[in-house]
Amino acid sequence: MTDSLDLKIALQMIPWFNSLTPEHFNKTAELTHLRHAKAGDIFFREGDKQDYVYIVLDGRVSLEIFVPHHGKVRFYTAEPFDVFGWSSVTPGMRQRTAGAMAVLDSTVACIDAEGLRNFAEIDHDFGYLLMRRLANVVASRLMVTRLQLIDMFAGPSEPIND
Amino acid sequence: MTTTLIDTAAHSAGHNDKLLLPHWAEIVKIIPEAEGVSTFHFRFTDPTVQNRYRFEPGQFNMLYVPGYGEAAISMSSDLETAGGLLVHTIRHIGNVTRATSRLKVGDVVGIRGPFGTSWPLEAIEGMDVVIACGGIGLPPLRGAIYRIIRNRARYGKITLLYGARMPKDLMFPAEYEAWQKADIDMQVTVDRGDDTWTGRVGVVPMWFYHFRVDPHKTAVLTCGPEIMMRFVIYEALARRIPSDQIYVSLERNMKCGQGACGHCQQGPYFICKDGPVFPFKALENIFNVEEY
Amino acid sequence: MTDKTLFIGSTVALPKPELDLLLADLRKNDYQTVGPHMQDESIVYTKIEGLKDLPRGILSEQNPASYRMLQTDKDRYFDFIPANQSWKQFLFPPRHTLFSASKEGKWQLKENDEPAPRYALIGVRACELAAINIQDKIFLREDFSDPIYRSRREGLFIMAVNCLDPDATCFCVSMGTGPRHTAGFDLCLTELDEVFLVEVGSELGRSMLAERTYDLPSAFVQNAANQAMDRATRSMGRTMDTRDLPELLTTHLDADRWNVVSKRCLSCTNCTLVCPTCFCWDAVDQADILGKSTRRERVWDSCFNPNYSFVVGGNTRPNIRSRYRQWLTHKLGTWKAQFDVLGCVGCGRCITWCPAGIDITEEVAAIRAEVNS
Repeated sequence: MTDSLDLKIALQMIPWFNSLTPEHFNKTAELTHLRHAKAGDIFFREGDKQDYVYIVLDGRVSLEIFVPHHGKVRFYTAEPFDVFGWSSVTPGMRQRTAGAMAVLDSTVACIDAEGLRNFAEIDHDFGYLLMRRLANVVASRLMVTRLQLIDMFAGPSEPIND
Repeated sequence: MTTTLIDTAAHSAGHNDKLLLPHWAEIVKIIPEAEGVSTFHFRFTDPTVQNRYRFEPGQFNMLYVPGYGEAAISMSSDLETAGGLLVHTIRHIGNVTRATSRLKVGDVVGIRGPFGTSWPLEAIEGMDVVIACGGIGLPPLRGAIYRIIRNRARYGKITLLYGARMPKDLMFPAEYEAWQKADIDMQVTVDRGDDTWTGRVGVVPMWFYHFRVDPHKTAVLTCGPEIMMRFVIYEALARRIPSDQIYVSLERNMKCGQGACGHCQQGPYFICKDGPVFPFKALENIFNVEEY
Repeated sequence: MTDKTLFIGSTVALPKPELDLLLADLRKNDYQTVGPHMQDESIVYTKIEGLKDLPRGILSEQNPASYRMLQTDKDRYFDFIPANQSWKQFLFPPRHTLFSASKEGKWQLKENDEPAPRYALIGVRACELAAINIQDKIFLREDFSDPIYRSRREGLFIMAVNCLDPDATCFCVSMGTGPRHTAGFDLCLTELDEVFLVEVGSELGRSMLAERTYDLPSAFVQNAANQAMDRATRSMGRTMDTRDLPELLTTHLDADRWNVVSKRCLSCTNCTLVCPTCFCWDAVDQADILGKSTRRERVWDSCFNPNYSFVVGGNTRPNIRSRYRQWLTHKLGTWKAQFDVLGCVGCGRCITWCPAGIDITEEVAAIRAEVNS
């Protein structure tokens, strides 16, 4: 089995890729390579300028921010079929605002974000599908962040006397 | 009322003719759980009361600490697993529950109960079950988990989604391995992880994004902060799980447990006797009404 | 005089002084006779012995947030409209010790085994009797029977009185509860200038009345009483349109009117305390300072109290808007689903005793108007 066949089989597992036309699928596949990461491997660090968007195929990748006096805070883990590093698909966002690390041995599809952006500029049909998918990703990430922000498991802010 | 509520029959040590009169129960064992949470094992001092006491997972007792008052606390085990003892996992956060944190083995508290409806463990036989809970919402489901494990063959896929604030806040972590071995898919999520946490970070309802359910044969049991349950319900309904296959355990202020004192009313219900466990279908018109 | 023809449903004319003897007979039969009495420029329900304790010649003038007594020189005792107190306090005491506990080595419980008082209620209005019937449905259910209420209710003697002079805050006709009694009493008085017309409602009432001296009522007297009652029915100060009320309220939980009324409501709990059907209670411990003994009491509570809906995660009704909405949608809405009756009898107490003068009939009308607009 060649690497490229391996890649295509892997990509076909991803629900979103199923809805692409063969042309869009092949073009995206050309921009993608698989990475088999060991637990502890780093995908990027806060401040990095590398230009990929990732889809987890297997394993678990954590997103984390170093907070002075609190150490590394893990605020999200990308599970299979989750997207991370999505901001590189948007124009203008070129610096990583968090770090990404495999917490389990993981297989990750790494997509060249510059290639994706260029293709989306040329083929707006593809661009629309890409941005629609991205909007979903961002919306779900926002939902999770809101629920975390609510801090729903925290104790009451004032002492209880009842 | 057109919606059928859950019908729970249980022997009781509380429904006597004496209003709010508790039976004394002795603390046999105290297990510290997470910070500010401990599990108490009780035995009624009167053997007659102890012998006739039965309950179903999901029901609750009123625990009385003399001088402080009563608090409604769910059972966090079942009689079979606990060797006939009553097990309550208590977060020491209110006036009464803080008083329980100062109690020692051999001390007594008053107990009335059991009250309320239970998890519909017979009605959901043959189905896949998603147990979605958060924080102190796991203890009221633990008895149901024990019951399901004992009758494991009667159920399809079992998934336990459990969320907590931080890894140190997780309840009963020593049991997860045994539950996993009993073919329960354990999906534990924390709001915030540290370097050592290799599990999921996020929120409980997120699980629905990653897994497929067969809506017609899936039941959801949920217990936890109301905001968490709300999003679990949104996701379950979005996946076309019927609202009468989603079971919700509500928390309200309760003083009597018998639908008499009025405190726990929400819409037409007394949560203490018509609930705490409801099919979501029965709550559709009132669950999301702000401050109702 | 003993009249062998006296039976349930009979009406006789009782000279007013005979009421003193009737009350004395009730006391001889171990009843505490409680009824209206003037105190602190208001009418309270308390122990009474006879006519001398009743509010003679008193009328009341009630309006939103306003209560005045008017003294007339009439020799009449039941022309006033009840004030803030209701009979609820006798069947559902505002404060009642459930048990006490003391620690001598181990904790010991001592039940409150005081026998329940036997009350004879003197002067129960039709709306008030309707309120007792509603509380019966709350406290005496198949799945829960309140022992405190039950022991008091079982031994109860009810001397009803037909209301002849409704106040500006009255709307019992709208609620179908008055002003005229139909059933549920032992004896029922209709007061005329010279006599009481007394209707017999039970065997107990018949046997108590049989000991008294009375006459058969003349057609003139009966006619006068009927006319007075018809006049009362026509002179309600207020009305409430009860058509589909539960549905109207429970399907408009987002009405703007809730915001409007919440700006006036002080969440003071007055309406729930004066309401003859409100039944919420709390249980509290009164502990000694050493923690060696405690008394557990049942006390009245109110859905307007900020702690009422408190849970560890926070207060489920933190705002006055949600508390007022809970009160009204319960009383005139979900109450029906719970007890197969509405929780309002049209007595008007909540209107008179609201310090902000919030008028339940006006609130219902405003929501109806908002929904229909």
